[in-house]
Amino acid sequence: MSASTVSTASDLTAARTGAIEDSGWGRSFTFYQPRNAAFWVYLMLVVSGAFKLFSILSASAAAYADAIVLSVVLFSVYGAIFWWFTHHIDRYARQPVKLIVVAFLWGSFAATWVMAANANDAILSLYAKVFGQAWASDWGAGLAAPFTEEIAKGVGMLLLIALASRLVRTAFDGFILGAFIGLGFQIFEDVLYALNSAASQFGADPVGAAMSTIMLRMVFGVAAHTLYSAIFCAGLVYFLGRPAEPRRVGRGLAFMAAAMLLHGLWDSAGALVQGKNALIFPLFIIMIAAALTLVVRVFRMTVPRERQFLRDILAPEAEHGVITGDELTALCGDRKARKAFRKSAGTQAARKRNGYVLEAAADLADALADSRGTDTGRVEFTRSEVSRIRSGQPSIKA
Amino acid sequence: MPVAPPPVPYEPDDRWVPVDRRWFGLDRETLVPAAIVLAIAIVMSIVIPAINDSVPYDDGVVAGDVMEIEGGVTFIPALGWGITAGVRATDLPTAGSFPPRATLVNGGAMFTVYTAPFAGEANALLEQIKKTSDALATEKSLRVSDDSTAITTVDGLRGVLTSYSNSNADGVIAAFVVDGKGIEVVSTGPIDVDPTITDDVARMIVSISHQTGEDSR
Repeated sequence: MSASTVSTASDLTAARTGAIEDSGWGRSFTFYQPRNAAFWVYLMLVVSGAFKLFSILSASAAAYADAIVLSVVLFSVYGAIFWWFTHHIDRYARQPVKLIVVAFLWGSFAATWVMAANANDAILSLYAKVFGQAWASDWGAGLAAPFTEEIAKGVGMLLLIALASRLVRTAFDGFILGAFIGLGFQIFEDVLYALNSAASQFGADPVGAAMSTIMLRMVFGVAAHTLYSAIFCAGLVYFLGRPAEPRRVGRGLAFMAAAMLLHGLWDSAGALVQGKNALIFPLFIIMIAAALTLVVRVFRMTVPRERQFLRDILAPEAEHGVITGDELTALCGDRKARKAFRKSAGTQAARKRNGYVLEAAADLADALADSRGTDTGRVEFTRSEVSRIRSGQPSIKA
Repeated sequence: MPVAPPPVPYEPDDRWVPVDRRWFGLDRETLVPAAIVLAIAIVMSIVIPAINDSVPYDDGVVAGDVMEIEGGVTFIPALGWGITAGVRATDLPTAGSFPPRATLVNGGAMFTVYTAPFAGEANALLEQIKKTSDALATEKSLRVSDDSTAITTVDGLRGVLTSYSNSNADGVIAAFVVDGKGIEVVSTGPIDVDPTITDDVARMIVSISHQTGEDSR
């Protein structure tokens, strides 16, 4: 054995340890932290917001119960799809579900009902007093909500960092947790929009009126709060800097400003087309396309660090032949790379098996992160699973 | 040959705070982010609304003003009242449509006109308004009376009018329906409201008009 081999193996192991440490992968999250001031602020604001929302809904329930139930059920299903998708793209140093729930609840209750709703109403009223009702009707929402709502959602990320500093380490973490904050905000804002619609026709057809709003919000919600917050919170992490994400003030500010700009343009659409209704639909399509393009770019800018962590964690496994170099490359690549790897196998069964091998290798990375890089029984087992699947043997539960 | 990873050092749980970071039992490093968020929450939920409350509306009605709401519904606001929501007919928003509601205030009195689609006649609209109002009412809410009287505006729009009251306040609710659009008028004020206010409300109700066809925006 040469000295360089030892050095390489040692370097790889050190890189693995460093990646696990830097990424926070496998770290636990404890919500109840009585010595953490952020815990008390979070608790107070989320509970206040939940109470306020409950008051709004219960005050309206006698007249609009059907519309409320309908909107809650439909938006829950809608939210579940977004939840699944966001969780799906968080395939690297995955955040614990408990922390994701904490992020979601901030957006659902605190950012929405304690902060943004109060500020929006007051600012719209101030705009009307200072600039007139017509101006406020045109531009008020577009010049209030982007600031109040993005900041209200974004400061949730400050609390999450204080509550889970070992877990929120990269801009990608901000991107994912921000998406969940935005998802919570969007779902409960939409429920209120549906409730307002239910009341809009003197309460004569609450379900019918709410339904059209629900459908519109679902269609156009594709590029709304979830997306804005993901971009804003990725920017906030860049702006602040984290142990695994060097501070980049310019990029951070640009991301936060971009999220606010997208939000502002969306809320000002009616005024931008100057009442030409034929233009409003194409404008929405252009805005959605621009928003989706931007969020994909932000994803691509933030994800390489996570992929490098994964590569560092699994590189010793490739060195020892547990996984192949091609498997490592595919696993640490994008969707296209994973697809190409699956397709590289000849038969349908082999393609399927290649996909399973990647999933098993991802399980191995999870096990290694949990064990902090040591060879526990679970690590050995996940290694054996990679070999078993590659060889086509049946599982132990077969 | 595999290289053994360094032994995993002991790691305290998430609740552990180093002694040199403790401040009255709290983790000193969490104070700044918590204070920033709390301060922003206070600004948003208390300070900005307080600023808004301290700024009075000074958009008073002047001679010649006509208020317009969605669907070509107009009315002539009374002089001396303040506009707190809604737009003058001469002030069409850039977005191309008038808002569905206009609200004016004068002292403790409030006058609001709201329009939305409604299939039915004026009596049915008044019944619907009463039904919804009763469903949402609390002990302190104003209640819509069961009695109603017919009313016709200067423009010939026929509707119904009823009283709306509780122990501290009273007012009227009027309902009109034209071209599939319901028009709801609600006015409330203290029981001992000045008779001139009552006259203003009556004049505003009968000034309600509806533009049809090309005149309707």
